[in-house]
Amino acid sequence: MSAPTITQPGVAASQPLRKDRMRAGDTKPAWLFIAPFALFYVLFLIWPTIYMVVASFFNTSIVQEGFGSFAGFGNYQEMLTRPEFWSAMWHTLQFTIYTTPPLVVLAFLFAILANRVRRGQALFRLAFFVPFILPSAAIALIWNFIYTPASGLLAVVQGWFGVEAPSPVLGTPSIAMVGIAVTTVWWTIGFNFILYLAGLQDIPRELYEAAALDGATPWQQIRWITIPMLSRTTTLVVLLQIIASLKIFDQVYLMTGGGPGIATEVALGLITTSAFTDFRVGAASAASVLLFIVIVIIAVLRQLIDRAQERRA
Amino acid sequence: MATTGTSSTPRRTPGISAAAPPPRRVTDSSKNSSRAFNVVCGVVLGVFAVLWLIPSLWAIKTSLTPNSVSAVGAEEILRHGGLTLEPYANILRGGAIWDWYLASFFTAAVTTALTVVFASMSGYALSRLQFRGRGLVFVLMLAGIMIPSQVLVVPIFQMLDAVSLLNTYWAVILPQIPYVIAVFVFKQFFDGLPKELEESARIDGAGFWRIYRSIIMPLSKPVVSAMAILAFVNVWNNLLLPLFVVSNPELMTIPVGLATVQGSFGQRYSDIQASSILGALPLVILFLLFQRRIVEGVAGTGLKG
Amino acid sequence: MTFWNLFGGGDGARLQLMLDQYEQEQGGSDALQAATFAWGNPYYTKVSLATLGDKPPDVAVAHATRATNLARAGLLTEITEDVLASVGLSSTDFTPKVWESTVLDGKAYAIPLDTHPFVLFYNKTVCRDAGLLDADDELVPIQGTEQWEAALAAAKEVTGAYGASVATVSETATPWRFFQTLYSQRNGSTPFLSDGGTELTFDEALVADTLAYLQGLTGSGLMPQATDYAGSQTLMFTGQSAFYLQGEWEITTAQSVEGLEFGMVPVPTLFDQPACQADSHAFVLPTMERSPDQLERAMGFVKSMLDQSLAWAEGGHVPAYLPALRSPEYAAMEPQSDYAEAADYAVYDAPAWYSGSGSNFENIVGAQIGLVMQGIASPEEAIASMRSQLGTYARTADPLS
Repeated sequence: MSAPTITQPGVAASQPLRKDRMRAGDTKPAWLFIAPFALFYVLFLIWPTIYMVVASFFNTSIVQEGFGSFAGFGNYQEMLTRPEFWSAMWHTLQFTIYTTPPLVVLAFLFAILANRVRRGQALFRLAFFVPFILPSAAIALIWNFIYTPASGLLAVVQGWFGVEAPSPVLGTPSIAMVGIAVTTVWWTIGFNFILYLAGLQDIPRELYEAAALDGATPWQQIRWITIPMLSRTTTLVVLLQIIASLKIFDQVYLMTGGGPGIATEVALGLITTSAFTDFRVGAASAASVLLFIVIVIIAVLRQLIDRAQERRA
Repeated sequence: MATTGTSSTPRRTPGISAAAPPPRRVTDSSKNSSRAFNVVCGVVLGVFAVLWLIPSLWAIKTSLTPNSVSAVGAEEILRHGGLTLEPYANILRGGAIWDWYLASFFTAAVTTALTVVFASMSGYALSRLQFRGRGLVFVLMLAGIMIPSQVLVVPIFQMLDAVSLLNTYWAVILPQIPYVIAVFVFKQFFDGLPKELEESARIDGAGFWRIYRSIIMPLSKPVVSAMAILAFVNVWNNLLLPLFVVSNPELMTIPVGLATVQGSFGQRYSDIQASSILGALPLVILFLLFQRRIVEGVAGTGLKG
Repeated sequence: MTFWNLFGGGDGARLQLMLDQYEQEQGGSDALQAATFAWGNPYYTKVSLATLGDKPPDVAVAHATRATNLARAGLLTEITEDVLASVGLSSTDFTPKVWESTVLDGKAYAIPLDTHPFVLFYNKTVCRDAGLLDADDELVPIQGTEQWEAALAAAKEVTGAYGASVATVSETATPWRFFQTLYSQRNGSTPFLSDGGTELTFDEALVADTLAYLQGLTGSGLMPQATDYAGSQTLMFTGQSAFYLQGEWEITTAQSVEGLEFGMVPVPTLFDQPACQADSHAFVLPTMERSPDQLERAMGFVKSMLDQSLAWAEGGHVPAYLPALRSPEYAAMEPQSDYAEAADYAVYDAPAWYSGSGSNFENIVGAQIGLVMQGIASPEEAIASMRSQLGTYARTADPLS
């Protein structure tokens, strides 16, 4: 939970350069103002990116000095032909598929409802939003306990509903990712909830008033005003979720460690295991570069979509 | 966030509190049906809210139950009536969590301070100063937003190793300072501030630094606090980076501590839940104190880890 | 003095007593900072990264099967005879087999504490009712699959649930240990890996047959298909199964269960020869700048722990320190001495840079075995998956050297 994503940072909005304001005297102070941030930007974003690309072509080991022997495209070849790599990418996709619909539909539903209810706002905020700002480790400890096979809360509740000997959620390959997805939906829905609420505030009230005068039912108002007016927020929510899914690490590391077997292993899990457990920085870098490319493509796509929507709006 | 792009002022509080009042000037019958609809909405949402609270309540309940009871299973925990603070005492007496609190507070506070100062300086330069290379800086910063810093954990580890910074607080702090999006949030906010004050200060001979410090920053408290809280929460919650750059228990942050030592608790489920709640507690308090700012910050920037 | 370990559960409690004793000897509670980490790869990752980051603990625990890899990565200080002699020890003070397992290119890198074989626990109350105990209230020796299955069936009659239990869910080490124990008992079983892990040399037919046998045990209901580490214990503790298979360290947990009468024996020889999966805990000194003073303190700590080998043996482990192993006190320990012989035919994981307790190798293989026992994967599917995943590691140039 650290990398920021932004929508449209307003290139279009930056003022046109007026020649008379182009004071040459600004250049030195401007760079001094930018220098501290730029230093860290270069040191911890640009330089690691370059290092990563270079190391991906070597058999770099964490316990050996230097880059090690030249590997050419060997690390890439290994990753691209390795079933674990593709299964990690597939698990990422799987996670996206499991989490996005509930995160969109439920968050939308909660926001619409919360927008109509005047009492209990504090409760809703507490219930839906607070989990989002808690550390993943605390979330995982809570849910691991709920998922405890046989004696955990979930198993007991399943027992009440007549499910005998329910499959252990995190221990069964076919449903372990579902367990992680449920936890994630619970954890992060507050973020989308807030985005939708904000979106709702931007819908001009007159639209509803006009519709009400025309005799539109609340449902019709939602169907024909709210949903279309929130389409931009929905696009944003979906794209952010895809990017977040690509970077998923915490929940998997904490809840299943990628298991059972490799049934829930994801890209960042594969990368960190390669680097820090297997000591293979070169191979980990190659996997990092591949993941990096995918994420950047989607991030660029997101900017393009956002800009297109803005133009239409 | 959908609207931040074009609006030059920071968006208003998307107050959940400011629920839309029901439409005025409507007929009686539709007013009634609308009211009934709102009641249904309230009930449905209430059910979901309770559902959403269950995991937390379960953790709290377990943490107040003796380990010997929670070891048996969920039904026993439900049946158990008494309350005990023993699990909390175990964790707090254990000592490790105090180190984690210190590490989390220190790293989050220092990172936040440096991020806010450096990012607002850059934002100010981009907003107010005309200089050669401005376009380049802008494009580079834009690109920076798209760089997924998590993916860089391996090279960052190697770099920190090369300069012998592993296993220090700095290994957690320094890589998290370039919080690129903050630069844009600051720039946008500054763009919306009236320029008259600065112009008169300039005529009085004030330099950029003085304008930034004495005029711009005092006017920017809302955005500064929103960014500070977001940065703080992000650093506090980050698991990936500190998990690998810090290996010593006394230097671990809360998430790393919780993640690393959970195995050593064995079947002391109540202790585990107590540690989880203690780890979450500072953020719950932060939320209660600053909920408006946090909600505003999240909604206004579309920041997500 | 800092000390890192991976001892959870009963081992952790036992260790704490030993650490308290050490602190008492040192005359202060500030003498020692001990930290316990999550078991397996996460622990070894922490030890490795801390050593790379120049802040390792003074002493750490490592499995014998992992210590050699740490040494090859240059993360450990050599344990010379001089170092040993500084606290009155010598390499001949340890079980030769265990000592040898920590030697790399003629240099030793670890000081062994114990051997911990995979054993069979039995609930005496259930076994008595099932007619499985002799006149001395001890388990009648079981030999061969027929007797084993008969015993399980008889026990199942009594419990109404299962005959024996072993963890299959959320666990990779336990299924591996159980499998490796039975596989190694068979004539013609070959090591899983050879040549430092570059070759996969397991006997596919035997592996498939052994997996099928395990699947049969769970499939027939004699053993549970899906139970996790804690659940598999609880079944035996609460009389829902007569037998429970796990490392001997769970003796502490078993002893803490009120009213439980239990015994422990080596895993019966179901096939051709006695064998059991095992590993050894050892002390290692991570690479760091040490003053003679620091080295002395570290070795003083190790010596204190070794001197408390009998306390450690209370926790189930077979001492590697000969003065303890050969002591009359140890011989008198029940049920510890009942399975001490298992250490003699212990089978360690095959050496490879990705092998050892809690390693990628165990994770890969153990996960598949768990799936087979849960009835989710067929033996053939499991073998194919193992082969493919291990193949990647086998083909990879050793990153340690």
